[in-house]
Amino acid sequence: MTAWIVAHRTIVAAVLLFLPAPIIIVILSSFTKAGYIGFPPGELSLRWYAEFFSSADWLATLGLSTLLAALAAMLSTFVTFLGALAVTRQRLPMTQGLETLILLPLIFPHAALGVIMLGLVGIFGWTGNFLGLLLAHFILTIPYAWRPIVAAMRKHDLAVEEAAMSLGAPPFYTFRKVTLPLLRPGLVTALLFTFIISFDEVTVSLFLVGPDLSTLPVKIFSTIQDSGSPVIAAISAILIGFTIAIVFLLDRVIGLELFVAAEQRRKPTA
Amino acid sequence: MRLGRWAWLLLLPLLCVLGLFLFGLGELVWSSFNGPDGPGLDLYRQFFARADYIDVLIRTLWVAGLTTVVSLFISYPVAYFIARFQGRRDWLLVLILLPWLVSVVVRTYGWIVILGNRGLLNGFLGWLGVIDSPLRLLFNTTGVVIGLVHVFCPFMILAILAVFLQLERALEEASMSLGAGPLETFRRVVLPLSLPGVISGVMLVYLMSTGAIITPLLLGGLRDRMLGTQIYQEMFQLFDFPKAATLAVILTATAFLVVLPLQWLERRVSRNLKGAA
Repeated sequence: MTAWIVAHRTIVAAVLLFLPAPIIIVILSSFTKAGYIGFPPGELSLRWYAEFFSSADWLATLGLSTLLAALAAMLSTFVTFLGALAVTRQRLPMTQGLETLILLPLIFPHAALGVIMLGLVGIFGWTGNFLGLLLAHFILTIPYAWRPIVAAMRKHDLAVEEAAMSLGAPPFYTFRKVTLPLLRPGLVTALLFTFIISFDEVTVSLFLVGPDLSTLPVKIFSTIQDSGSPVIAAISAILIGFTIAIVFLLDRVIGLELFVAAEQRRKPTA
Repeated sequence: MRLGRWAWLLLLPLLCVLGLFLFGLGELVWSSFNGPDGPGLDLYRQFFARADYIDVLIRTLWVAGLTTVVSLFISYPVAYFIARFQGRRDWLLVLILLPWLVSVVVRTYGWIVILGNRGLLNGFLGWLGVIDSPLRLLFNTTGVVIGLVHVFCPFMILAILAVFLQLERALEEASMSLGAGPLETFRRVVLPLSLPGVISGVMLVYLMSTGAIITPLLLGGLRDRMLGTQIYQEMFQLFDFPKAATLAVILTATAFLVVLPLQWLERRVSRNLKGAA
Protein backbone atom coordinates (compact mmCIF):
# COMPACT_ATOMS: atom_id res chain seq x y z
CA MET A 1 0.00 0.00 0.00
CA THR A 2 2.76 2.46 0.88
CA ALA A 3 4.23 1.73 -2.54
CA TRP A 4 0.98 3.00 -4.06
CA ILE A 5 1.07 6.13 -1.96
CA VAL A 6 4.68 6.81 -2.95
CA ALA A 7 3.84 6.26 -6.63
CA HIS A 8 0.84 8.57 -6.35
CA ARG A 9 2.81 11.33 -4.63
CA THR A 10 5.61 11.01 -7.20
CA ILE A 11 3.25 11.43 -10.14
CA VAL A 12 1.55 14.40 -8.48
CA ALA A 13 4.88 16.09 -7.72
CA ALA A 14 6.10 15.46 -11.27
CA VAL A 15 2.96 16.95 -12.83
CA LEU A 16 2.97 19.95 -10.54
CA LEU A 17 6.55 20.54 -11.68
CA PHE A 18 5.79 19.77 -15.34
CA LEU A 19 2.95 22.29 -15.68
CA PRO A 20 4.73 25.48 -14.62
CA ALA A 21 8.13 24.38 -16.03
CA PRO A 22 8.00 25.96 -19.50
CA ILE A 23 6.63 29.18 -18.06
CA ILE A 24 9.36 29.53 -15.48
CA ILE A 25 12.00 28.64 -18.07
CA VAL A 26 10.71 31.27 -20.49
CA ILE A 27 10.82 33.95 -17.81
CA LEU A 28 14.36 33.01 -16.76
CA SER A 29 15.72 32.79 -20.28
CA SER A 30 14.23 36.17 -21.23
CA PHE A 31 17.01 37.87 -19.25
CA THR A 32 19.76 36.50 -21.48
CA LYS A 33 22.30 38.75 -23.11
CA ALA A 34 23.10 36.31 -25.88
CA GLY A 35 21.66 36.58 -29.37
CA TYR A 36 20.26 33.07 -29.31
CA ILE A 37 18.00 31.31 -26.88
CA GLY A 38 19.32 28.62 -24.60
CA PHE A 39 19.28 27.53 -21.03
CA PRO A 40 20.88 28.47 -18.65
CA PRO A 41 20.73 32.04 -20.01
CA GLY A 42 24.37 32.89 -19.23
CA GLU A 43 25.11 36.57 -18.77
CA LEU A 44 22.02 38.52 -17.71
CA SER A 45 20.61 41.68 -19.24
CA LEU A 46 17.39 43.47 -20.07
CA ARG A 47 18.48 43.78 -23.68
CA TRP A 48 15.48 41.93 -25.15
CA TYR A 49 12.97 43.87 -23.08
CA ALA A 50 14.51 47.07 -24.38
CA GLU A 51 14.23 45.68 -27.89
CA PHE A 52 10.53 44.93 -27.39
CA PHE A 53 9.68 48.32 -25.90
CA SER A 54 11.57 50.20 -28.59
CA SER A 55 9.88 48.35 -31.43
CA ALA A 56 6.86 50.26 -32.73
CA ASP A 57 5.82 47.15 -34.61
CA TRP A 58 5.62 44.92 -31.53
CA LEU A 59 3.94 47.62 -29.44
CA ALA A 60 1.31 48.21 -32.12
CA THR A 61 0.57 44.48 -32.20
CA LEU A 62 0.27 44.41 -28.41
CA GLY A 63 -2.15 47.35 -28.63
CA LEU A 64 -4.19 45.63 -31.33
CA SER A 65 -4.46 42.39 -29.36
CA THR A 66 -5.52 44.28 -26.24
CA LEU A 67 -8.16 46.26 -28.13
CA LEU A 68 -9.43 43.15 -29.89
CA ALA A 69 -9.71 41.20 -26.63
CA ALA A 70 -11.39 44.08 -24.80
CA LEU A 71 -13.99 44.59 -27.56
CA ALA A 72 -14.64 40.87 -27.97
CA ALA A 73 -15.01 40.46 -24.20
CA MET A 74 -17.47 43.35 -23.92
CA LEU A 75 -19.51 42.29 -26.93
CA SER A 76 -19.82 38.66 -25.95
CA THR A 77 -20.47 39.43 -22.28
CA PHE A 78 -23.18 41.96 -23.16
CA VAL A 79 -24.95 39.83 -25.75
CA THR A 80 -24.71 36.74 -23.56
CA PHE A 81 -26.02 38.72 -20.60
CA LEU A 82 -29.15 39.72 -22.54
CA GLY A 83 -29.69 36.20 -23.81
CA ALA A 84 -29.12 34.65 -20.40
CA LEU A 85 -31.67 37.03 -18.85
CA ALA A 86 -34.24 35.70 -21.29
CA VAL A 87 -33.34 32.04 -20.76
CA THR A 88 -33.22 32.11 -16.97
CA ARG A 89 -36.40 34.14 -16.47
CA GLN A 90 -38.76 32.97 -19.12
CA ARG A 91 -39.90 29.52 -19.95
CA LEU A 92 -38.81 29.38 -23.56
CA PRO A 93 -39.32 26.46 -25.89
CA MET A 94 -36.17 24.47 -26.64
CA THR A 95 -33.98 25.91 -23.90
CA GLN A 96 -31.93 22.72 -23.95
CA GLY A 97 -31.36 23.00 -27.69
CA LEU A 98 -30.47 26.65 -27.32
CA GLU A 99 -27.84 25.90 -24.72
CA THR A 100 -26.34 23.19 -26.94
CA LEU A 101 -26.20 25.72 -29.77
CA ILE A 102 -24.50 28.31 -27.57
CA LEU A 103 -21.83 25.86 -26.47
CA LEU A 104 -21.45 24.48 -30.03
CA PRO A 105 -18.22 26.33 -30.96
CA LEU A 106 -16.55 24.51 -28.04
CA ILE A 107 -16.95 21.10 -29.63
CA PHE A 108 -15.25 21.88 -32.92
CA PRO A 109 -11.54 21.21 -33.41
CA HIS A 110 -9.77 24.56 -33.67
CA ALA A 111 -8.34 23.96 -37.12
CA ALA A 112 -11.88 23.38 -38.42
CA LEU A 113 -13.09 26.51 -36.62
CA GLY A 114 -10.36 28.46 -38.39
CA VAL A 115 -11.63 27.41 -41.81
CA ILE A 116 -15.25 28.07 -40.81
CA MET A 117 -14.39 31.59 -39.63
CA LEU A 118 -12.30 32.29 -42.71
CA GLY A 119 -15.25 31.38 -44.94
CA LEU A 120 -17.67 33.42 -42.85
CA VAL A 121 -15.45 36.48 -42.69
CA GLY A 122 -14.88 36.27 -46.45
CA ILE A 123 -18.60 36.79 -47.08
CA PHE A 124 -18.41 40.19 -45.42
CA GLY A 125 -15.16 41.04 -47.21
CA TRP A 126 -13.37 41.24 -43.86
CA THR A 127 -10.57 38.81 -44.71
CA GLY A 128 -7.34 39.95 -43.09
CA ASN A 129 -8.84 42.93 -41.29
CA PHE A 130 -9.76 43.84 -37.75
CA LEU A 131 -13.51 43.34 -38.12
CA GLY A 132 -12.97 39.77 -39.27
CA LEU A 133 -10.87 38.99 -36.21
CA LEU A 134 -13.43 40.68 -33.98
CA LEU A 135 -16.35 38.70 -35.39
CA ALA A 136 -14.48 35.41 -34.95
CA HIS A 137 -13.38 36.22 -31.42
CA PHE A 138 -16.89 37.38 -30.57
CA ILE A 139 -18.35 34.02 -31.62
CA LEU A 140 -15.57 32.01 -29.98
CA THR A 141 -15.83 33.70 -26.58
CA ILE A 142 -19.62 33.41 -26.18
CA PRO A 143 -19.49 29.93 -24.56
CA TYR A 144 -16.95 31.24 -22.03
CA ALA A 145 -19.23 34.15 -21.10
CA TRP A 146 -22.32 31.96 -20.98
CA ARG A 147 -21.28 29.65 -18.15
CA PRO A 148 -20.37 32.17 -15.43
CA ILE A 149 -23.30 34.46 -16.30
CA VAL A 150 -25.91 31.72 -16.28
CA ALA A 151 -24.42 30.27 -13.09
CA ALA A 152 -24.72 33.68 -11.40
CA MET A 153 -28.28 34.13 -12.63
CA ARG A 154 -29.43 30.70 -11.47
CA LYS A 155 -28.01 31.35 -8.01
CA HIS A 156 -29.76 34.70 -7.88
CA ASP A 157 -33.07 34.73 -5.99
CA LEU A 158 -35.78 36.53 -7.94
CA ALA A 159 -37.72 37.15 -4.72
CA VAL A 160 -35.26 39.95 -3.87
CA GLU A 161 -36.42 41.84 -6.95
CA GLU A 162 -40.03 41.25 -6.12
CA ALA A 163 -39.41 42.61 -2.65
CA ALA A 164 -37.83 45.77 -4.10
CA MET A 165 -40.70 46.28 -6.51
CA SER A 166 -43.39 45.64 -3.93
CA LEU A 167 -41.70 48.32 -1.82
CA GLY A 168 -42.31 50.70 -4.69
CA ALA A 169 -39.10 50.60 -6.74
CA PRO A 170 -39.78 50.96 -10.48
CA PRO A 171 -38.54 48.08 -12.67
CA PHE A 172 -35.51 49.80 -14.15
CA TYR A 173 -34.43 51.13 -10.76
CA THR A 174 -34.75 47.61 -9.33
CA PHE A 175 -32.68 46.29 -12.19
CA ARG A 176 -29.93 48.85 -11.62
CA LYS A 177 -29.88 48.74 -7.83
CA VAL A 178 -30.71 45.11 -7.08
CA THR A 179 -30.25 42.82 -10.06
CA LEU A 180 -27.01 44.19 -11.52
CA PRO A 181 -25.08 44.35 -8.24
CA LEU A 182 -26.06 40.77 -7.45
CA LEU A 183 -24.91 39.59 -10.87
CA ARG A 184 -21.71 41.63 -10.83
CA PRO A 185 -19.32 38.78 -9.86
CA GLY A 186 -20.66 36.63 -12.70
CA LEU A 187 -20.32 39.49 -15.18
CA VAL A 188 -16.80 40.40 -14.09
CA THR A 189 -15.77 36.75 -14.34
CA ALA A 190 -17.23 36.55 -17.83
CA LEU A 191 -15.39 39.72 -18.89
CA LEU A 192 -12.02 38.60 -17.53
CA PHE A 193 -12.40 35.08 -18.82
CA THR A 194 -13.44 36.07 -22.34
CA PHE A 195 -10.71 38.71 -22.42
CA ILE A 196 -8.01 36.19 -21.71
CA ILE A 197 -9.45 33.59 -24.10
CA SER A 198 -9.46 36.16 -26.89
CA PHE A 199 -6.09 37.65 -25.99
CA ASP A 200 -4.42 34.20 -26.06
CA GLU A 201 -6.28 32.77 -29.04
CA VAL A 202 -3.92 31.78 -31.80
CA THR A 203 -5.09 28.83 -33.90
CA VAL A 204 -8.21 30.47 -35.31
CA SER A 205 -6.58 33.91 -35.56
CA LEU A 206 -3.86 32.33 -37.69
CA PHE A 207 -6.45 31.99 -40.46
CA LEU A 208 -7.70 35.55 -40.17
CA VAL A 209 -4.64 37.76 -39.94
CA GLY A 210 -3.48 39.63 -43.02
CA PRO A 211 -0.19 40.95 -44.37
CA ASP A 212 -0.46 44.19 -42.40
CA LEU A 213 -2.36 42.92 -39.41
CA SER A 214 -1.46 40.37 -36.78
CA THR A 215 -2.37 39.58 -33.21
CA LEU A 216 0.38 39.27 -30.64
CA PRO A 217 0.23 35.45 -30.30
CA VAL A 218 0.24 35.04 -34.10
CA LYS A 219 3.19 37.40 -34.45
CA ILE A 220 5.03 35.46 -31.75
CA PHE A 221 4.28 32.26 -33.65
CA SER A 222 5.60 33.57 -36.95
CA THR A 223 8.68 35.05 -35.28
CA ILE A 224 9.49 31.70 -33.64
CA GLN A 225 9.25 30.10 -37.08
CA ASP A 226 11.31 32.79 -38.84
CA SER A 227 14.13 33.76 -36.51
CA GLY A 228 13.70 32.45 -32.97
CA SER A 229 15.06 35.75 -31.62
CA PRO A 230 15.17 35.93 -27.80
CA VAL A 231 12.86 38.95 -27.99
CA ILE A 232 10.16 36.25 -28.01
CA ALA A 233 11.16 35.24 -24.50
CA ALA A 234 10.82 38.83 -23.27
CA ILE A 235 7.37 39.22 -24.86
CA SER A 236 6.31 35.85 -23.50
CA ALA A 237 7.40 36.88 -20.02
CA ILE A 238 5.31 40.05 -20.32
CA LEU A 239 2.29 38.00 -21.43
CA ILE A 240 2.79 35.65 -18.50
CA GLY A 241 2.76 38.72 -16.26
CA PHE A 242 -0.56 39.75 -17.81
CA THR A 243 -2.01 36.29 -17.16
CA ILE A 244 -0.83 36.29 -13.55
CA ALA A 245 -2.57 39.64 -13.05
CA ILE A 246 -5.84 38.28 -14.46
CA VAL A 247 -5.68 35.07 -12.42
CA PHE A 248 -5.06 37.22 -9.35
CA LEU A 249 -8.10 39.38 -10.20
CA LEU A 250 -10.27 36.31 -10.78
CA ASP A 251 -9.18 34.91 -7.43
CA ARG A 252 -10.11 38.21 -5.77
CA VAL A 253 -13.45 38.57 -7.53
CA ILE A 254 -14.82 35.08 -7.15
CA GLY A 255 -12.20 32.53 -6.09
CA LEU A 256 -10.42 30.03 -8.28
CA GLU A 257 -12.70 27.13 -7.47
CA LEU A 258 -15.06 28.72 -9.96
CA PHE A 259 -13.19 26.93 -12.74
CA VAL A 260 -13.88 23.61 -11.17
CA ALA A 261 -17.34 24.28 -9.87
CA ALA A 262 -18.73 25.63 -13.15
CA GLU A 263 -20.19 22.27 -14.08
CA GLN A 264 -21.67 21.78 -10.68
CA ARG A 265 -23.44 25.13 -10.64
CA ARG A 266 -24.65 24.76 -14.15
CA LYS A 267 -27.22 22.28 -12.97
CA PRO A 268 -30.42 24.18 -12.22
CA THR A 269 -31.12 24.23 -8.52
CA ALA A 270 -34.70 25.43 -8.84
CA MET B 1 -39.08 40.77 -13.14
CA ARG B 2 -41.13 38.97 -15.69
CA LEU B 3 -40.06 39.51 -19.25
CA GLY B 4 -42.95 38.27 -21.35
CA ARG B 5 -42.38 38.87 -25.04
CA TRP B 6 -39.31 40.96 -24.32
CA ALA B 7 -37.53 37.67 -23.77
CA TRP B 8 -37.28 37.02 -27.50
CA LEU B 9 -35.99 40.51 -28.14
CA LEU B 10 -33.26 40.02 -25.53
CA LEU B 11 -32.34 36.72 -27.11
CA LEU B 12 -32.23 38.12 -30.63
CA PRO B 13 -28.59 39.38 -30.75
CA LEU B 14 -27.32 36.09 -29.36
CA LEU B 15 -29.38 34.12 -31.87
CA CYS B 16 -28.07 36.29 -34.72
CA VAL B 17 -24.45 35.65 -33.81
CA LEU B 18 -25.04 31.93 -33.42
CA GLY B 19 -26.90 31.98 -36.72
CA LEU B 20 -23.80 33.45 -38.35
CA PHE B 21 -21.74 30.60 -36.94
CA LEU B 22 -24.18 28.01 -38.27
CA PHE B 23 -24.10 29.78 -41.62
CA GLY B 24 -20.29 29.56 -41.67
CA LEU B 25 -20.54 25.89 -40.80
CA GLY B 26 -23.03 25.34 -43.64
CA GLU B 27 -20.75 27.15 -46.06
CA LEU B 28 -17.83 24.94 -45.02
CA VAL B 29 -19.78 21.74 -45.68
CA TRP B 30 -21.11 23.17 -48.94
CA SER B 31 -17.63 24.10 -50.21
CA SER B 32 -16.35 20.63 -49.40
CA PHE B 33 -18.89 19.17 -51.84
CA ASN B 34 -18.04 21.66 -54.58
CA GLY B 35 -14.83 20.67 -56.29
CA PRO B 36 -13.47 22.27 -59.44
CA ASP B 37 -15.61 19.90 -61.54
CA GLY B 38 -18.95 20.83 -60.02
CA PRO B 39 -20.85 19.46 -57.04
CA GLY B 40 -20.21 15.94 -55.85
CA LEU B 41 -17.96 13.81 -53.74
CA ASP B 42 -14.85 14.52 -55.86
CA LEU B 43 -12.88 16.24 -53.12
CA TYR B 44 -13.51 13.39 -50.69
CA ARG B 45 -12.59 10.82 -53.30
CA GLN B 46 -9.35 12.70 -53.96
CA PHE B 47 -8.61 12.72 -50.24
CA PHE B 48 -9.04 9.02 -49.74
CA ALA B 49 -7.16 8.21 -52.96
CA ARG B 50 -3.97 9.85 -51.70
CA ALA B 51 -1.76 7.69 -49.53
CA ASP B 52 -0.04 10.69 -47.93
CA TYR B 53 -3.39 12.09 -46.77
CA ILE B 54 -4.33 8.73 -45.27
CA ASP B 55 -0.99 8.84 -43.46
CA VAL B 56 -1.81 12.29 -42.11
CA LEU B 57 -5.21 11.08 -40.95
CA ILE B 58 -3.75 8.04 -39.19
CA ARG B 59 -1.01 10.14 -37.59
CA THR B 60 -3.62 12.60 -36.33
CA LEU B 61 -5.59 9.79 -34.70
CA TRP B 62 -2.44 8.28 -33.23
CA VAL B 63 -1.06 11.54 -31.80
CA ALA B 64 -4.46 12.62 -30.44
CA GLY B 65 -5.07 9.20 -28.92
CA LEU B 66 -1.62 9.07 -27.32
CA THR B 67 -2.01 12.61 -25.96
CA THR B 68 -5.38 11.69 -24.46
CA VAL B 69 -4.12 8.51 -22.80
CA VAL B 70 -1.01 10.15 -21.35
CA SER B 71 -3.06 13.12 -20.13
CA LEU B 72 -5.55 10.81 -18.45
CA PHE B 73 -2.85 8.84 -16.65
CA ILE B 74 -1.09 11.88 -15.27
CA SER B 75 -4.23 13.93 -14.58
CA TYR B 76 -6.25 11.42 -12.61
CA PRO B 77 -3.83 11.14 -9.65
CA VAL B 78 -3.40 14.92 -9.59
CA ALA B 79 -7.15 15.57 -9.55
CA TYR B 80 -7.57 13.08 -6.72
CA PHE B 81 -4.73 14.65 -4.77
CA ILE B 82 -6.14 18.17 -5.13
CA ALA B 83 -9.63 17.04 -4.16
CA ARG B 84 -8.33 15.43 -0.96
CA PHE B 85 -5.84 18.17 -0.15
CA GLN B 86 -6.37 19.53 3.35
CA GLY B 87 -4.46 22.80 3.11
CA ARG B 88 -5.11 25.81 0.90
CA ARG B 89 -6.39 24.34 -2.30
CA ASP B 90 -6.11 27.68 -4.13
CA TRP B 91 -2.34 27.43 -4.27
CA LEU B 92 -2.50 24.07 -5.96
CA LEU B 93 -5.14 25.33 -8.35
CA VAL B 94 -2.91 28.23 -9.36
CA LEU B 95 -0.26 25.73 -10.48
CA ILE B 96 -2.83 24.22 -12.85
CA LEU B 97 -4.78 27.32 -13.90
CA LEU B 98 -1.90 29.66 -14.57
CA PRO B 99 -0.19 27.45 -17.17
CA TRP B 100 -3.62 26.69 -18.60
CA LEU B 101 -4.40 30.36 -19.18
CA VAL B 102 -1.01 31.26 -20.66
CA SER B 103 -1.12 31.35 -24.46
CA VAL B 104 -0.33 28.15 -26.33
CA VAL B 105 2.45 29.85 -28.30
CA VAL B 106 4.20 30.95 -25.13
CA ARG B 107 4.03 27.49 -23.59
CA THR B 108 5.15 25.82 -26.79
CA TYR B 109 8.05 28.25 -26.95
CA GLY B 110 8.97 27.20 -23.40
CA TRP B 111 9.16 23.60 -24.59
CA ILE B 112 11.49 24.59 -27.41
CA VAL B 113 13.80 26.11 -24.79
CA ILE B 114 13.59 23.02 -22.58
CA LEU B 115 13.76 20.28 -25.21
CA GLY B 116 16.06 21.83 -27.80
CA ASN B 117 19.59 20.59 -28.49
CA ARG B 118 21.03 23.47 -26.48
CA GLY B 119 18.08 23.35 -24.10
CA LEU B 120 17.71 22.77 -20.40
CA LEU B 121 17.12 19.03 -20.45
CA ASN B 122 19.98 18.13 -22.78
CA GLY B 123 22.26 20.53 -20.94
CA PHE B 124 21.39 18.92 -17.62
CA LEU B 125 21.76 15.35 -18.87
CA GLY B 126 25.07 16.22 -20.52
CA TRP B 127 26.30 17.83 -17.30
CA LEU B 128 25.34 14.67 -15.41
CA GLY B 129 27.28 12.70 -17.97
CA VAL B 130 24.30 10.48 -18.80
CA ILE B 131 24.44 11.28 -22.50
CA ASP B 132 27.26 12.09 -24.89
CA SER B 133 25.32 13.76 -27.66
CA PRO B 134 22.03 15.64 -27.24
CA LEU B 135 18.82 13.61 -27.32
CA ARG B 136 16.51 14.46 -30.16
CA LEU B 137 13.40 15.55 -28.31
CA LEU B 138 12.24 18.25 -30.68
CA PHE B 139 10.96 18.10 -34.23
CA ASN B 140 9.57 14.61 -33.81
CA THR B 141 6.44 12.96 -32.46
CA THR B 142 7.83 12.87 -28.89
CA GLY B 143 8.06 16.65 -28.88
CA VAL B 144 4.54 17.05 -30.25
CA VAL B 145 3.03 14.71 -27.66
CA ILE B 146 4.91 16.37 -24.77
CA GLY B 147 3.70 19.77 -25.96
CA LEU B 148 0.10 18.67 -26.51
CA VAL B 149 -0.10 16.90 -23.14
CA HIS B 150 1.10 20.08 -21.50
CA VAL B 151 -1.40 22.22 -23.36
CA PHE B 152 -4.41 19.99 -22.74
CA CYS B 153 -3.93 18.09 -19.48
CA PRO B 154 -5.27 21.01 -17.35
CA PHE B 155 -8.64 20.44 -19.07
CA MET B 156 -8.52 16.81 -17.99
CA ILE B 157 -7.48 17.67 -14.42
CA LEU B 158 -10.30 20.22 -14.08
CA ALA B 159 -12.92 17.88 -15.54
CA ILE B 160 -12.02 15.05 -13.16
CA LEU B 161 -11.57 17.39 -10.21
CA ALA B 162 -15.10 18.76 -10.69
CA VAL B 163 -16.47 15.26 -10.14
CA PHE B 164 -14.18 14.47 -7.19
CA LEU B 165 -15.24 17.63 -5.39
CA GLN B 166 -18.84 16.47 -5.52
CA LEU B 167 -17.91 13.05 -4.24
CA GLU B 168 -18.58 12.60 -0.55
CA ARG B 169 -15.58 11.46 1.34
CA ALA B 170 -17.98 9.53 3.58
CA LEU B 171 -18.60 7.07 0.74
CA GLU B 172 -14.98 5.97 0.83
CA GLU B 173 -14.99 5.79 4.58
CA ALA B 174 -18.17 3.72 4.51
CA SER B 175 -16.60 1.32 2.04
CA MET B 176 -13.47 0.95 4.18
CA SER B 177 -15.40 0.53 7.40
CA LEU B 178 -17.41 -2.22 5.73
CA GLY B 179 -14.14 -4.09 5.26
CA ALA B 180 -13.01 -3.20 1.73
CA GLY B 181 -9.30 -2.50 1.39
CA PRO B 182 -8.08 0.80 -0.10
CA LEU B 183 -7.54 -0.74 -3.53
CA GLU B 184 -10.94 -2.35 -3.58
CA THR B 185 -12.52 0.90 -2.42
CA PHE B 186 -10.77 2.68 -5.25
CA ARG B 187 -11.78 0.12 -7.84
CA ARG B 188 -15.40 -0.26 -6.75
CA VAL B 189 -16.30 3.14 -5.33
CA VAL B 190 -13.99 5.97 -6.38
CA LEU B 191 -13.30 4.92 -9.95
CA PRO B 192 -16.91 4.24 -11.04
CA LEU B 193 -18.13 7.45 -9.44
CA SER B 194 -15.45 9.50 -11.18
CA LEU B 195 -16.22 8.07 -14.63
CA PRO B 196 -18.35 11.01 -15.84
CA GLY B 197 -15.41 13.36 -15.23
CA VAL B 198 -12.99 10.99 -16.92
CA ILE B 199 -15.23 10.69 -19.96
CA SER B 200 -15.73 14.43 -20.37
CA GLY B 201 -12.00 15.02 -19.91
CA VAL B 202 -11.14 12.39 -22.52
CA MET B 203 -13.66 13.94 -24.90
CA LEU B 204 -12.23 17.44 -24.53
CA VAL B 205 -8.58 16.48 -24.81
CA TYR B 206 -9.09 14.19 -27.79
CA LEU B 207 -11.19 16.80 -29.58
CA MET B 208 -8.69 19.58 -29.08
CA SER B 209 -5.62 17.50 -29.91
CA THR B 210 -7.05 16.48 -33.28
CA GLY B 211 -7.42 20.13 -34.26
CA ALA B 212 -4.07 21.44 -33.00
CA ILE B 213 -1.91 23.42 -35.41
CA ILE B 214 0.56 25.50 -33.43
CA THR B 215 2.14 22.76 -31.33
CA PRO B 216 2.67 20.24 -34.17
CA LEU B 217 4.05 22.99 -36.42
CA LEU B 218 6.53 24.25 -33.83
CA LEU B 219 7.53 21.04 -32.05
CA GLY B 220 7.00 18.49 -34.80
CA GLY B 221 9.25 17.67 -37.70
CA LEU B 222 8.42 18.00 -41.36
CA ARG B 223 7.04 14.49 -41.34
CA ASP B 224 4.82 15.10 -38.31
CA ARG B 225 1.98 16.54 -40.32
CA MET B 226 -1.45 16.32 -38.75
CA LEU B 227 -4.83 17.22 -40.22
CA GLY B 228 -4.62 20.67 -38.61
CA THR B 229 -1.23 21.51 -40.06
CA GLN B 230 -2.29 20.06 -43.42
CA ILE B 231 -5.33 22.38 -43.46
CA TYR B 232 -3.08 25.32 -42.69
CA GLN B 233 -0.78 24.34 -45.52
CA GLU B 234 -3.55 23.85 -48.10
CA MET B 235 -4.94 27.23 -47.13
CA PHE B 236 -1.82 29.37 -46.99
CA GLN B 237 0.67 27.70 -49.28
CA LEU B 238 -1.72 26.40 -51.91
CA PHE B 239 -4.67 28.79 -51.36
CA ASP B 240 -7.12 25.96 -51.90
CA PHE B 241 -10.20 26.77 -49.83
CA PRO B 242 -12.39 23.86 -51.05
CA LYS B 243 -9.67 21.38 -50.20
CA ALA B 244 -9.09 22.96 -46.80
CA ALA B 245 -12.86 22.80 -46.24
CA THR B 246 -12.90 19.10 -47.13
CA LEU B 247 -10.06 18.43 -44.70
CA ALA B 248 -11.86 20.45 -42.02
CA VAL B 249 -15.03 18.38 -42.49
CA ILE B 250 -13.01 15.16 -42.30
CA LEU B 251 -11.24 16.48 -39.19
CA THR B 252 -14.57 17.33 -37.54
CA ALA B 253 -15.97 13.93 -38.50
CA THR B 254 -12.93 12.16 -37.01
CA ALA B 255 -13.40 14.10 -33.80
CA PHE B 256 -17.14 13.46 -33.63
CA LEU B 257 -16.74 9.76 -34.34
CA VAL B 258 -15.05 9.48 -30.97
CA VAL B 259 -16.81 12.27 -29.10
CA LEU B 260 -20.45 11.50 -29.83
CA PRO B 261 -20.36 7.88 -28.55
CA LEU B 262 -18.50 9.14 -25.48
CA GLN B 263 -21.18 11.76 -24.91
CA TRP B 264 -23.82 9.06 -25.08
CA LEU B 265 -21.79 6.93 -22.68
CA GLU B 266 -21.38 9.85 -20.27
CA ARG B 267 -25.13 10.39 -20.13
CA ARG B 268 -25.72 6.71 -19.50
CA VAL B 269 -23.09 6.51 -16.78
CA SER B 270 -24.42 9.64 -15.06
CA ARG B 271 -27.96 8.29 -15.19
CA ASN B 272 -26.90 4.94 -13.76
CA LEU B 273 -25.00 6.66 -10.96
CA LYS B 274 -28.04 8.76 -10.12
CA GLY B 275 -30.25 5.69 -10.21
CA ALA B 276 -27.93 3.86 -7.84
CA ALA B 277 -27.69 6.73 -5.36
